[in-house]
Amino acid sequence: MSLLEITDLKTYYRASDGWVRATDGVSLSVDRGETVGLVGESGSGKTTLAKSIIRLFPKNAEIVDGSINYDGTEITELTDRQLRKQIRWSEISMIPQNAMNGFDPVYTVGSQIVEVIRYHEDDTSKKEARKRARELFNELGIDPDRIDDYPHQFSGGMAQRAMIALALCLSPNIILADEPTTALDVVIQDRILETIKEKQREIDSAMIMITHDMSVVSETCDRIAVVYGGRVVEIADAETIMMSPRHPYTLGLRNAFPDISDEDKDLISIPGTPPDLVDPDEGCRFAPRCPFATEECWEVTPEAEDYGDGHMVECHRADEIEYLQEEAAKKETWMEQEIGRPDETPPEVTSDD
Amino acid sequence: MSTETNSPVTRLFDGVANSARFIRDKFEAFEGDRLGQIGLVILATFIFIGIFARPITIDFLNITIPGLAPHDPTATRVGGRLEPPSLEHPLGTTVLGRDVFSQLIAGTRVTLLVGSLAAFMAVFIGTNIGLVSAYFGGWVDDVLMRITDIVYAVPFLPFAIVLVAILGSSIVNIIVAIVLVLWRSTARVIRSQVLSHKQRPYVESAEAIGASHVRIMYLHILPNVLPLAFLYAAFAVGWAVIAEASLSFLGFGDPTMLSWGEMIFNVYTADAIRVAWWWVFPPGIAIMLFVMSVFFIGRTLEKVVNPELRHQE
Amino acid sequence: MGLREYVIRRLLQLVVTFWAFFTLLFVLFRLVPGDPTSMFILDGMTPEQREQRIAELGLDQPLHVQYVEYISQLLTGDFGQSFIYREPVIDIIIVRFMNTIVLMGTALFFAYLIGLTFGALMGWWRGSKFERGGIVVTLAARSSPEFWVGIVLLSVFVFWLGWFPSGGMRTTGGELGGGFLARYGSTDFLRHLFLPALTGAIVFMATPTLLMRNTMLDVLNADFIEIKKAEGLPERTVLYRHAARNSVLPIVTVMAIATGAAMGGSVVIETVFNWPGMGREMVRAVNSNDYPVAMAAFFLMGSVVIIMNFLADLAYVYLDPRVEYE
Repeated sequence: MSLLEITDLKTYYRASDGWVRATDGVSLSVDRGETVGLVGESGSGKTTLAKSIIRLFPKNAEIVDGSINYDGTEITELTDRQLRKQIRWSEISMIPQNAMNGFDPVYTVGSQIVEVIRYHEDDTSKKEARKRARELFNELGIDPDRIDDYPHQFSGGMAQRAMIALALCLSPNIILADEPTTALDVVIQDRILETIKEKQREIDSAMIMITHDMSVVSETCDRIAVVYGGRVVEIADAETIMMSPRHPYTLGLRNAFPDISDEDKDLISIPGTPPDLVDPDEGCRFAPRCPFATEECWEVTPEAEDYGDGHMVECHRADEIEYLQEEAAKKETWMEQEIGRPDETPPEVTSDD
Repeated sequence: MSTETNSPVTRLFDGVANSARFIRDKFEAFEGDRLGQIGLVILATFIFIGIFARPITIDFLNITIPGLAPHDPTATRVGGRLEPPSLEHPLGTTVLGRDVFSQLIAGTRVTLLVGSLAAFMAVFIGTNIGLVSAYFGGWVDDVLMRITDIVYAVPFLPFAIVLVAILGSSIVNIIVAIVLVLWRSTARVIRSQVLSHKQRPYVESAEAIGASHVRIMYLHILPNVLPLAFLYAAFAVGWAVIAEASLSFLGFGDPTMLSWGEMIFNVYTADAIRVAWWWVFPPGIAIMLFVMSVFFIGRTLEKVVNPELRHQE
Repeated sequence: MGLREYVIRRLLQLVVTFWAFFTLLFVLFRLVPGDPTSMFILDGMTPEQREQRIAELGLDQPLHVQYVEYISQLLTGDFGQSFIYREPVIDIIIVRFMNTIVLMGTALFFAYLIGLTFGALMGWWRGSKFERGGIVVTLAARSSPEFWVGIVLLSVFVFWLGWFPSGGMRTTGGELGGGFLARYGSTDFLRHLFLPALTGAIVFMATPTLLMRNTMLDVLNADFIEIKKAEGLPERTVLYRHAARNSVLPIVTVMAIATGAAMGGSVVIETVFNWPGMGREMVRAVNSNDYPVAMAAFFLMGSVVIIMNFLADLAYVYLDPRVEYE
């Protein structure tokens, strides 16, 4: 059995005009030591999905259905106290997008690492905790003496390293990395990603990497889940997603990032915006932006279909893979489509037949 | 067309349009804000009472609008001494047999007068100091801000007491005393706001076409910081009314104009606080309600001036 | 610039502010229309007595001589003689100053203790009934002049319930000897202290409460709060050790202003409750033309505010590691 098994998870937010279905029936598994990427535009629900794993969301959100099984423990059924003591940070920790804001500005970085170590390990002395923080700093390439510096005294890349030290200090089994490098410049990005991967292998922990950047996931992840409209629309190993995806959204996302093999390729972005997740209608959620949407796509929500080796796709036309891949590579396909349902007619007229 | 954008007339229209937009925004902000609406209703009631408190004679039409106060508030022995509330005297009478209800209504005027005048003058001074200080910077800024700092060191009420005691207890002196201290917060806030506006492109382009300092300050920058000045005016009204009431309560009020604070001072000096609850509570509640109404309104305005707050509700 | 330079610069500023305040005081008490010496003269004095008094006070000297004289006197703590008590002002004022500090210190302490807790909780439970009700209560307290709150408390707890004495500082009229504790520690004293201190606490509570709530809302949106929750730290630790600790920073800067408000408030509260403090003494002095006492009281009140401003700036530097000493 996998280390983490998410089944049909639904996390909704209460809004003034209904429920925001930020995560709407997602199933996902993560094995020990594995790195899974969650890819999608902002607003696709990927962050909510990841944070649901440790139930870290605002007070107006709740898990309305589904199960999150971590190593035999059902997370949705834990009390707040059990969750805090047994799961958060000691088992599952996270690296935020902007490390600089991830530290409390009024305490030194070291004291914040010591704080979390001592909260989870009752018999660790302050001195031992400090020693561990220094060692971690050393391993991550920061001068150990800097544990007594305040967050604002760190540079962006340095702060991100310190954040990694914080995330690793309890040797967790899963690390949730929420766009850990987007706030940094490109040169540092790669080095930080390398560092994360290296440390991850060392302590043999799994990682869930949240990003909108296809190039990041292709380099770091074993498997990739593509998230759209609160659902995982396609999931497969990294190579399949990069080389032969079946979902039009994945194809579109891939177009938006430079391809290493084909440098002359134009970058094409997907027109339109992610859907409003307040009480969505039946039908495929990508249909309004999809150049290949048919009548069926508007009417019937596609079910996940297995294409072998764990390659799951939620698309009615996933069988026409060659045609889709060929057409999706052309700029006109995306640029010349109309956003929204082409034959939208008032319901009064259609109700006649 | 685009060349005309910078003509003084257009600027002026822009300014007017800006203010109009602000007022429209203001009323939008009151929608769905219960406290703000309550504040508006209470304030409107007080303004109505204040205007029609005493009979108004319009000479050329030869009519007199009767006042709301049933009795002359200063006439003694319209009732017995310290009568509890009755139909004739809804809030009873004072130790001199004056009608408390009429005094309460007449006192509204003083409150409105002091509140609006003092707030307007304080915000006027504060806005100008903040504007000049931030716009010119350098030693001008240093000097003006040091002065502001020093005014911040002056304890408000003791200062007002000393000033009024020296200059004499009149409504004008009370307002002067209040204004001399109250401008300080507006000056600081407007200054920091202007500092951020000074960096913006529209000021640079005005400088580039050779607009004078006065022009840039008052035609370009001022309209943008005016909403903030409005907000501080609302709060200033509250503080001014509290200050006037406190001064009057301590016996430094204008003896010719009966205010709510002075009513309570009279209760104290008559040593009637233990018995005459009908004489003490109405003016106290009136002060509290009035100040609350402007604070409620101020809170709502704050959301217009600082839209981030709106999402926090 | 280092911390030491910052403190030195701030100290220099303190001196300048004090000088400006001295000067303001000097000007203020010579503003009186007509003959400025008239306010130093009591009615019913013979012309000879007048002459003597004016010479005694140095009022016949040119203004700049008076000014130098005045500054040097202030610096040596010499505020002259009270016209009424015929005693050195310093002797009269110092005891009352202590009484005021005890009363207002207590009031401010509780105002901040309650205000910060209350404001932090209002921010933490934003959008709740508790928050909305809290805002109305706080605004109502802020809208009430000190004397009004005092009168309401007097009416309820003294006239109606009879739980507390109506005023003064202690039941027995006689002076208590002994140390600080004997003076300010007895239950009788605390019973007298309760209502006036409560009055101050209610009025002064509003500012820290509302400010704390607002900054809490800002701080709670910060990323690090989410990280602290993800770390599994208990809600109380996140609230107090991290969220509230960050929200307190702006509060420090308004503390000096609150002290100013408390000094003004003391004038009113002490009058309502007959508290033998500096504020009430000042009202009495102004009413009876005892200007040396009024001036000394005003001087002490201003000095407290100036010094609090100074301390607040230093405290801010200590509390916020990000402050640059510009």
